[in-house]
Amino acid sequence: MSAPTGILASYEYLDSTVDAITGLRKAGFEVKAYAPYPDHHIEHALGYDQSPVRVWTLVGGLTGTATALAFTVWTSVDWPIVVGGKPIVSIPPYVIIMFELTVLFGALATIIGLFILSRLPNLKPAVIYDPEFTAGRYGVYVEADGTRLDEARRILNDEEPIELREGQVAHV
Amino acid sequence: MSRDLAERDDGIKRRDFLRVVGVTGAGATLTGCSTAEVEKLLPYVVADESITPGVATWYTTVCGGCAAECGMWVRTREGRAVKVEGNPDHPVSEGGLCSRGHATLQHLYHPDRFHGPMIREGTVFRQGTWDEAERLLAARITRAQNPANTVDGGSVMFVGGHMSPSMGRLVDEFVGALGGTRVDYDAVTDAPLLEAARIAYGTSSLPRYDIGAARLLLSFGYDFVESGASPVEHGKGLSRMSAVNDESHAKGSFVFLGPRLSLTGLNADEWIPIRAGSEASVALGMASAIAGPGSTGPYANLLQSYSPAAAAQAAGVSVEAIEALARRFASESPSLALGPGTGAHHRNATAANLAVMILNDVAGNVGTTVHYDPAAAGGLAGASSSFSGIEDATRAMASGEVGVAFVHGTNRAYSLPASAGFREAFERVPFKVSFASAMDETSALADLILPDRHFLESWGDSTPRPGVMAIQQPVMQAVPLFDSKQAGDTLLAVGGHLGQDLGAATFYEYLRGHHLAAAGGSTEDFESGWRQALRLGAVEFDAPDAAVPQLRSPQTALTFDAPAFDGSGDLTLIVHPSARFGGGEFSNSPWLQELPDPVSKITWHSWLEMNPATGEERGIRTGDIVTVASPHGSLEVPVWLYPGIREDAVALAMGGGHTGMGRYADGNGVNALDLLPAVAEQPSGALVTLATTVSVTATGRGRRLATIEGSSDQYDRPIAPAVQLALLGEAVEGAEEEHGELMAPQGVGGFVPVPAEGGAPAAFPLEGARHGEYAQAHEGPRWAMAIDLDKCTGCSACVTACQSENNVPWVGEEQVMMGRDMNWIRIERYYEHVDATQAGDLDVRFLPMLCQHCGNAPCEPVCPVFATYHTPEGVNAQVYNRCVGTRYCANNCPYKVRVFNWYRYTGDIPEPLNWQWNPDVTVRDNGVMEKCSFCMQRIRDAENRAALEEGRPVRDGEVVPACEQSCPAEAIVFGNIRDPNARVTQIVASERTYRVLDELINTQPAVNYLKKVTFHEVVSEAH
Amino acid sequence: MANGGTGTATATAPETATERGALTHPDLHRLDDVNRDVLKMLGRPGKGWWALFGLAATGVGVFLTAWLLIQVPFGIGVSGLNSPVGWGVYITTFVFWVGIAHSGTLISAILFLFRAPWRQSIYRAAEAMTVFAVMTAGLFPLIHVGRLWHAYWLIPYPNSRFLWPNFKSPLIWDVFAITTYFTVSATFFFLGTIPDIAAARDRATGLRKKFYTVISLGWQGTDSQWHHFGKAYIYLAALATPLVLSVHSVVSWDFAMSIVPGWHTTIFAPYFVAGAIYSGIAMVITLIVPMRKIFGLEAYLTTKHFDAMAKLMLLTSLIVLYAYLCEFFLAWYSGEEVERTAFWNRLFGNYWWATWIMLTCNGFVPVMLWFKRVRHSIPALFVISFFVNIGMWFERYVIVVTSLHHEYEPFAWGMYRPSVVEMCILVGSFCWFGFWFLLFTRLLPPIAIQELKEVMPPPMRKKATTQGADS
Repeated sequence: MSAPTGILASYEYLDSTVDAITGLRKAGFEVKAYAPYPDHHIEHALGYDQSPVRVWTLVGGLTGTATALAFTVWTSVDWPIVVGGKPIVSIPPYVIIMFELTVLFGALATIIGLFILSRLPNLKPAVIYDPEFTAGRYGVYVEADGTRLDEARRILNDEEPIELREGQVAHV
Repeated sequence: MSRDLAERDDGIKRRDFLRVVGVTGAGATLTGCSTAEVEKLLPYVVADESITPGVATWYTTVCGGCAAECGMWVRTREGRAVKVEGNPDHPVSEGGLCSRGHATLQHLYHPDRFHGPMIREGTVFRQGTWDEAERLLAARITRAQNPANTVDGGSVMFVGGHMSPSMGRLVDEFVGALGGTRVDYDAVTDAPLLEAARIAYGTSSLPRYDIGAARLLLSFGYDFVESGASPVEHGKGLSRMSAVNDESHAKGSFVFLGPRLSLTGLNADEWIPIRAGSEASVALGMASAIAGPGSTGPYANLLQSYSPAAAAQAAGVSVEAIEALARRFASESPSLALGPGTGAHHRNATAANLAVMILNDVAGNVGTTVHYDPAAAGGLAGASSSFSGIEDATRAMASGEVGVAFVHGTNRAYSLPASAGFREAFERVPFKVSFASAMDETSALADLILPDRHFLESWGDSTPRPGVMAIQQPVMQAVPLFDSKQAGDTLLAVGGHLGQDLGAATFYEYLRGHHLAAAGGSTEDFESGWRQALRLGAVEFDAPDAAVPQLRSPQTALTFDAPAFDGSGDLTLIVHPSARFGGGEFSNSPWLQELPDPVSKITWHSWLEMNPATGEERGIRTGDIVTVASPHGSLEVPVWLYPGIREDAVALAMGGGHTGMGRYADGNGVNALDLLPAVAEQPSGALVTLATTVSVTATGRGRRLATIEGSSDQYDRPIAPAVQLALLGEAVEGAEEEHGELMAPQGVGGFVPVPAEGGAPAAFPLEGARHGEYAQAHEGPRWAMAIDLDKCTGCSACVTACQSENNVPWVGEEQVMMGRDMNWIRIERYYEHVDATQAGDLDVRFLPMLCQHCGNAPCEPVCPVFATYHTPEGVNAQVYNRCVGTRYCANNCPYKVRVFNWYRYTGDIPEPLNWQWNPDVTVRDNGVMEKCSFCMQRIRDAENRAALEEGRPVRDGEVVPACEQSCPAEAIVFGNIRDPNARVTQIVASERTYRVLDELINTQPAVNYLKKVTFHEVVSEAH
Repeated sequence: MANGGTGTATATAPETATERGALTHPDLHRLDDVNRDVLKMLGRPGKGWWALFGLAATGVGVFLTAWLLIQVPFGIGVSGLNSPVGWGVYITTFVFWVGIAHSGTLISAILFLFRAPWRQSIYRAAEAMTVFAVMTAGLFPLIHVGRLWHAYWLIPYPNSRFLWPNFKSPLIWDVFAITTYFTVSATFFFLGTIPDIAAARDRATGLRKKFYTVISLGWQGTDSQWHHFGKAYIYLAALATPLVLSVHSVVSWDFAMSIVPGWHTTIFAPYFVAGAIYSGIAMVITLIVPMRKIFGLEAYLTTKHFDAMAKLMLLTSLIVLYAYLCEFFLAWYSGEEVERTAFWNRLFGNYWWATWIMLTCNGFVPVMLWFKRVRHSIPALFVISFFVNIGMWFERYVIVVTSLHHEYEPFAWGMYRPSVVEMCILVGSFCWFGFWFLLFTRLLPPIAIQELKEVMPPPMRKKATTQGADS
């Protein structure tokens, strides 16, 4: 068995891309797809389900709420100062701080989650990559060795790619 | 003063302390005066045992500001006077002190003071040494006295102003030895009153008024609250007679008769707007009505020819008003009539004063509310200052008879009408000597200037009234920047050079010697008396029994008719002394320049008072600049429309328009005297100030007035309400709700309102707030204040006192115009009912507005950094160093008592004026908010003293904020409102108590006001 | 993105393509047409751009001089502020810019969640506007305070004495609201831009390529990237939406929490939010009309977009006008003398002119938007949006100044006149904003490339002929 190499096929049409992906997955290949925009047909073909990003959002938000409540109350009693005849621990105004931190922490957690899950930032130069992916083309990439590679090439070719490149993409 | 009572209960601690330092301090400074080499203030080479760094040392002395000679306490720190206060032990002023008194401190440290004797060389002055200057003066006198000298020879003339009795004697002896003459003159003088007293009762001293004892008070235009013979004493008297007694509901009434409402007039219950100059007719008309046809007495014939009808005709008011007033004046005895005073020196002023004396006599007030002291006893008081004297002097100077002229304590070149020709005459004198301590219009003409000392640096004495002797002692070393010398010492030195023997080497010896002689020579009695005088500031010895003098028939023919006015203008010009500057001698003080005039609330510049109706028919609005032209001159001044002046009169205050007095006086406003003729009233010889009519024409230009007044209408808001006397004691509707249960959202973190037990303000801090240092807050004091609006006269002494105590900067005309004045306390003035067209009720409300130290302070929660917060003692504290300057607190303060440092105002205060700063109070920086602190430094001082003495709590009356201390009307009381026996607690129990805007916005202020009480029905009762 | 597509690509793509594509962009055929049109905007700037940029840069100079070289050294006294009017042009302008900052995230997030089809071609510019507007607004509290060098005390940090800020103060709420809003908006903006930066990167050369390579974070458009990106974007939008509504509510509480008559009212939060959206939309129009001209984006910004925005502007203008009337009615209805005087003074007092400018520009001028012809005339919309911008600034001026200058204590009433320095800073703030916005149009794709592609008919091999026909 020789070391696995990959094939990157560029397509002009959405449906050919989808068919290629479906075919490859039927044949039991690990497939990676490229698109100039998020397309649910491709996601569907790849059989994605819910993204774990939402967990990050939820946890981040709740952390924010708790932090704000704890912080405002603690600072109030840590050095009690009476203003305007109000109670030292006066919850209503603190609710606003709680809301703001909920949103802030939630948003930041979401971004962190996204970056971790989709391996961003990633400045390693791609070995093979078609700059047209960000313009108009779709791409399909499979990795296999020896004989399986030929099978993959055949399936890709069935869908009339604009071009095929062999090699290994940086793992994303 | 009730503060004494509080202290006397318990064998006075602080007072004793003061007495001791009073003496030792005097001793110390005495050595200082006599030995020249001790000039450094700090550091102490040999520590003065009476001075502990960081602890204030208090001295008693006498205020040299004006002839009233109020008693003073001077607070010194590390050898510097930093604050002056009224001396509660002084029998005349009784602890009060006016704005001008406070401002004398700025003259002590004034950067414009001379740095040494100035000798003229050509057109410029050169600073010389004292020895040089004195020898020069002696030489010139000898030369002038030389009969052979025809070039610059001539007699010696001493032109004096107000000076202490001993100084006066020394001058007389000095001048007498040289065969010279002495003339005294003040722009603001009581000469007509003196003259009238002489004519009527043969006394040479001013009549003394017991205003407090009167039930009905009449003022014929006499401005005794701001610029009379003794403003503090009389202001106190007014508040005592007119303030309601909360038990008996007794209240004296005050009627003002005059063409213009001065500050005094604004305090009246009723205003009879008589025409300018008709005082005599009205007084005599009333007198005739009281005396009736079959009257006897020296003036019976005179009274025959007068009647209320004639009076009404002359005064331009209804006859009923005058008859009714006459009836009341007779029935509501003891009554008292005052005036016309300095505001109405017209050509028949003496007659007018005499007429008022006759009125008092007819009503039988002599001996009860007005006293005339026999001439002997009054010997010291009342210098024979008269304008006729200065007229002769001027003539003598002009004719070249005078070889050497001294000027002391007055500024003739400013305070005489230009047409008097004093300036020209004075310039003709070959050698002119001035004792002024700072440059002024007269000294600018002098050949030699021998800078006198400030009264806080020098010795003197005073006899404010017969039977009272007060010693003016130096409270500190002479300010070292200024090489000054007391005029008395200078005269003695010069006398020495001339071979005179005036019996003393220094003025201190001279002074002591005189009093020793007066005491009958027995040294030990004298020592004790002397020490007591230094301790308490004044001693009373049994005055001669006041035998009620009899009214004498006049030797001089007087005309009691309305005086003649120059010119054909349609408006009578009233020139009155300024409530802030007097005749102009105080104009160089930035505190007084920025002090809002008690009547107009305008600062820095002059204004012409004109009735709104008059303005309307001429299309003149407030702020329009007009040309005021009299036969004797004309000037341009902005108009301020004022309902408190008759439609046929306009008024200008003295004290503006200086040209050579100093950096704070020059160029501010106009000199009203430029419009006046140089005419002497006969027979008193006083300068006639109510002399001319003027024409007023708009220039088409206008300006923003530098005023602090927003609106004089309180829009029916619960700000300065009043209550009718008749309604006192009756249950007031709505009072229950007002003092109803106090609910505060304190439960469950502010979600649930819970009742605050105890009610405000004692209930604060509320529960939910009881953490940390607030947990035990209920055992501690809760500072609060009570201000009785029925007592407040609006004199504004508290404003300057606060400025002096708390290092409040002045900001200048430009900034005041932008609305950036910094005063921590302001006297608001609201008109309720003012009608210049007829006799009737007068209702003007004064409201001292300072930080209310609210329990629910709106300013506190909005500060993002806790720069302002509530202390456990209930004070709304401002932490300057924490302030970021968002100004949110000021927006949210409904009382608008927070002021902001828009620039570094304290930065450009010149040396040594900043020596006055109170070391106990921070000097605020650029960009921070500030406000009244309830004189926190004084609270702490009292607490520390109490803690040092057996760790007891602070007693009631030990904490006295600057405003309360100086208030002549005793309207302000401060204390711990949790103490049921505290004065403040008892006062607040009054049914008149209310708190500004509290019903509206539930701020729960710690400052409680007592409603003003009126005789008439209160129409616009706010809420 | 995924608008309920079911079944296979072949089944759904064509009809969705037609009904979606038809609405927005009739004359785009290929996906990379979008790259061509949008990315050419990043090319060599024209004269017009340079002229505007030079103007803005000069203005920024004036702005910084007036603030840092005049006001900070001499003191806040160089403004016209005083007692009682302690807040003036600075706070007015602060609220104005915060308001402007609203429609960006609104258009982006809320319209995104509601799938509003006209959003794609304008939201990028709107979001950029939001970010720069918040940047501008955020400066004004700093310009306003008396001691700039201590402003950091508002931030909760453990100082030597452990004295923390006062969380009961609306100003601290502001600190949190504004910083949160800025962070989230900027994040949202940047996240949406990443794929387009990648697109720019793949077309760029030289220095720009390096720049884009770095800030595109190595985006390649792989399936997993798109997958997580999509979800993250939805959640961010979901978080941003309540934030948009909260920020101006908090700003309005700066006033409503006080007891100043004219400020202390419960309708302030909704009233301010509506006003913010109103002014925001107006500012978007003011910005994209010239953008459309300069870059020839007629294909992307059609009258349909302007019509939709005009309708939103009309709606919010009605809400705002209603709020005005409510205030006046309630002031009268309360029977409270102080309240009544305050609002009477607003209409007929010293500042009557400001109030009437506000009513005219915000209440009366937008009535024209009822007419379709006006909504479809881009010059007319441009003019109206200008009026609205002016009107909304004066609305804040009226609220801040007229309320303060006549408060509870009549004796302390006063007048306020803005100083030259304040005017320089006001005008300078617009230049500061323009400065950044002009840079943005040069450095980042001002129109969302990838989202436009989403609403375009995807290229299909099968039935390609019919595809070509109906697209």
